[in-house]
Amino acid sequence: MTVTDEAAPVLMVRRQMAVPRERVFEAWLDSESLAHWMRPDNFTHATVTVDPRVGGGFRIVMEGRTDGGDYEHRGEYLAIEPPSLLSFTWISKATDHKPTVITIEFHERGTGTELVLTHRRLAPKAVEAHRKGWTDIVRLLDEALARG
Amino acid sequence: MLDQVYDAIADPTRRAILGILAEGEVNVGNLAERFPISLNGVSKHVKVLERAGLIERTVQGREHRLRLNAEPLREASMWLEHYRTFWDTQLAALEAFLLKKQRGAGSEQAEHPREDGR
Repeated sequence: MTVTDEAAPVLMVRRQMAVPRERVFEAWLDSESLAHWMRPDNFTHATVTVDPRVGGGFRIVMEGRTDGGDYEHRGEYLAIEPPSLLSFTWISKATDHKPTVITIEFHERGTGTELVLTHRRLAPKAVEAHRKGWTDIVRLLDEALARG
Repeated sequence: MLDQVYDAIADPTRRAILGILAEGEVNVGNLAERFPISLNGVSKHVKVLERAGLIERTVQGREHRLRLNAEPLREASMWLEHYRTFWDTQLAALEAFLLKKQRGAGSEQAEHPREDGR
């Protein structure tokens, strides 16, 4: 187990890219870049504003969904360490408008990059306890589901 | 309801109770024996878990049997599934965008090299 209380990973997604990590890192803080790729397929475009400094905020409005309606995401930068680490809060309808935390590590792999994204939810109260709770609960859920 | 689930799992004793129930049904007395606190104390934790819908109780005569109901946990984890798909899609889009940009820049960037040999 590599899970720690400090940063209990809840959702972890990895991806290798044949692009230098400086380029990959920059794409996360550039509003024009974000507008191109930070939207699901069923949205036609996104409007993005970023204030890329620790404590600064961002806002991404995914627009023109084929079934109508916009989808707003916003958050605040917690850590910006180019080209290796980026962390920010993430608030949207899908998070019940409560803050979640995203941390992205950019690892150099030859001339490419391995990106490791963790996304964890912070519960409304007793954040530390809940972090611990989530690692346990994911395990419990896995066990319960495995049992059918 | 979600907040109740979060509150329920915030306490280490309650997580331990869920852990025991994840292995199968138990009656309240046997459950209490496994904790260094009073039956009354364990009962209070059980009630919190019941209110969150995480425990179901069946009464047979004097025996109160408890079993885990994982459904609220599943609901609490729905956002995980939502975002797993979301990030998979977005990271694929990010890569496509960067590769296109790289080619568009006309640079003779070497293809991603094999990670050293073997």
